[in-house]
Amino acid sequence: MAQLIEQLTFALMLSSTYTLISVGFALFFGAINIIHFSHGDVAILGAFFGIILYGVFGLTRVFGAIPSWIVTPIVFVVTCLLIGFLGTFFERTVIKPFRKSPLLMVLVATIALGIVIREVVRLFYPQGSNPQVFPKLLPQTIYGVGHLVLRLDHILIFLISLLLIVAMFFMINKTRIGMAIRAVSQDIEAANLMGINSDIVIAVTFMIGSILAGLAGLLIGSYQTLVRFDMGLMLGIKGFSAAVVGGLGSIYGAIAGSIVLGFVESLVCAYVPGGTPYKDVFAFVIVIFFLVFKPSGILGKTMPVRI
Amino acid sequence: MKAGLDMKLNQNISRLLFLGIETVLFGLVYFFLVFEDMISIFAVLAAMVLLSIAINRIPSLNRVVKEGFSHSKIPCIVYGILFVLAMPILFKDKPYHIFILFNTGLFAVLGLGLNWQIGSTNIVNFASAASFAAGAYASALLAIHAGLSFWILLPVSGLVAAAIGFILGLPCMKTKTYYLSLVTMAFTIIVYLLLNNMDWTGGPDGISGIPFPQIGSHSFGSPISLFGWSLPYQANFYYLIVFVVGITFFVDRRFRYSRLGLAWNAIRNDEIAAACQGIDVTYNKVLSFCANFFFDGIAGAIFAFSMGYISPESFSFNVSVTVVTIVIVGGLDNAAGVILGALLMILIPEKLQVFQNYRMLIFGLIIIVMLLVRPKGLFPQTIRKYE
Repeated sequence: MAQLIEQLTFALMLSSTYTLISVGFALFFGAINIIHFSHGDVAILGAFFGIILYGVFGLTRVFGAIPSWIVTPIVFVVTCLLIGFLGTFFERTVIKPFRKSPLLMVLVATIALGIVIREVVRLFYPQGSNPQVFPKLLPQTIYGVGHLVLRLDHILIFLISLLLIVAMFFMINKTRIGMAIRAVSQDIEAANLMGINSDIVIAVTFMIGSILAGLAGLLIGSYQTLVRFDMGLMLGIKGFSAAVVGGLGSIYGAIAGSIVLGFVESLVCAYVPGGTPYKDVFAFVIVIFFLVFKPSGILGKTMPVRI
Repeated sequence: MKAGLDMKLNQNISRLLFLGIETVLFGLVYFFLVFEDMISIFAVLAAMVLLSIAINRIPSLNRVVKEGFSHSKIPCIVYGILFVLAMPILFKDKPYHIFILFNTGLFAVLGLGLNWQIGSTNIVNFASAASFAAGAYASALLAIHAGLSFWILLPVSGLVAAAIGFILGLPCMKTKTYYLSLVTMAFTIIVYLLLNNMDWTGGPDGISGIPFPQIGSHSFGSPISLFGWSLPYQANFYYLIVFVVGITFFVDRRFRYSRLGLAWNAIRNDEIAAACQGIDVTYNKVLSFCANFFFDGIAGAIFAFSMGYISPESFSFNVSVTVVTIVIVGGLDNAAGVILGALLMILIPEKLQVFQNYRMLIFGLIIIVMLLVRPKGLFPQTIRKYE
């Protein structure tokens, strides 16, 4: 029983980090029907920014120790903002020129962008090819109740993700810019005619998505304690898969898909004997099954084909 | 009479011009490989870019090139083949350069196979690495455990890969666009993870001790000696891959100018319209999967036997990305373009070994720049001519 609860909290935490990434895929696909394939690399870039910022704070320690409850929020906020702007920059330089091209072009361009991001981290971060130790940004307290062992940082990761997702929903559903985003995703030309500057709206969409990805990078770094430059590829494919399993373009679907992937992975690790190396195999087999038998995803609508 | 003579003269000039351009192209490739210092390499690259811009932008030159080729196909092709065959003789003291060219040929086969999917049928398939791995592992395992000879394994590994293509093709038929790409990506990653984790594939260490192929008593591991000339052993594999590229190119021609190629193009343009014309969409799409995987499998077998050692690292997702970019950069649905794309995408990163570490970074940047500058590829597909 205790093991089951532990596994479930782990699965929830994993799902919440996947959600932060897959929501980005859902947002971008909803807005302009593209897949930003280097989104996972943007997230890992966030983790590396976090390490660097934490190091910068370490330098100021000569003026006296700064308590971690001040450092952590600052690192989180600054990293997320930086990644947000970087995401917008990538949209302007690599994605915008292909807005009217066939889907293949933007797919390959963003895959190439992913290669560039990974290589830049590997080459220009000191000893970037090796796994880097991620600073302990979150408190490492462990609660033990009987046989049950719960880690505070896992719970915090879940809560922070939940908070950000709720904030994003508030922004999309209640604010003016959110209304503009929804309008653009429904029909970009009609939105333009209504006086919405779709370029700015798309930039804002990418900023929101990238902020979430940057946060995901920080949280993943926190629970894995090691980050590597090439983790982004797998993360991106996982996020994309989660968005597709849930129904591409739907934010609720992205959440559902992430929960499916997160639970499959953690449960395979826990209950399939010798299954740990095969956890990704299980996850992707499930993705293929979903694509074949329910291509519209869990919550996606079946689209009629327009001739 | 005078006009006829003029035309004859013009034909001869354009013929010569085409042969000249061919010579310049091969010369550039040769010097590109030979030069070691960065300045000369960049000079050759600049010359290549200028040449392609000149051919594309100056209409009269463009016409001359096209006419020169269509008037005298056979001399041009024979001339080109002679150059290709002479390459190892030019590099007889530089085995590594022959090896690079062999590698280019390998990727040209993968690219030509994938072209039937991305180019002809608009199936954006990222499973090249998986089919390549299928051929390599099938041939390696059969060679070591069953002791079969390379020449039997060549078609066998192609068939094994084609069977896997069939199995992957069926679920792909239920999906389209991004979803189809995701299925193939997921498949590639599953294959990679399985190869890394299973015992009988050797895990991360892979399989070693694959014997060199033999023709009669001549082993591919020994140098070619002919009339007192001696070519390094890499030349064996170079000629083998040139032969396979030739066959793939020929098959591509046969596909393109048959009902099959026409059906594929119809599916690319509009699947529903194609189905309404009586084209069996599923059958044709699965066939394109099988054809692609068959040639990928053969390339995989050649790769395994030329290395003597294979490991999962050679079949990562990056291989798929490389092959897809070769097809896009070269020109969709254009076999000659794909071969040039392979030259470009394999030779340039290889040559930038001086920057060793920066190779992948430059590779990524080249892809982005190429897509931005020439989104239709170097040599966009031409409209079919029926005369």
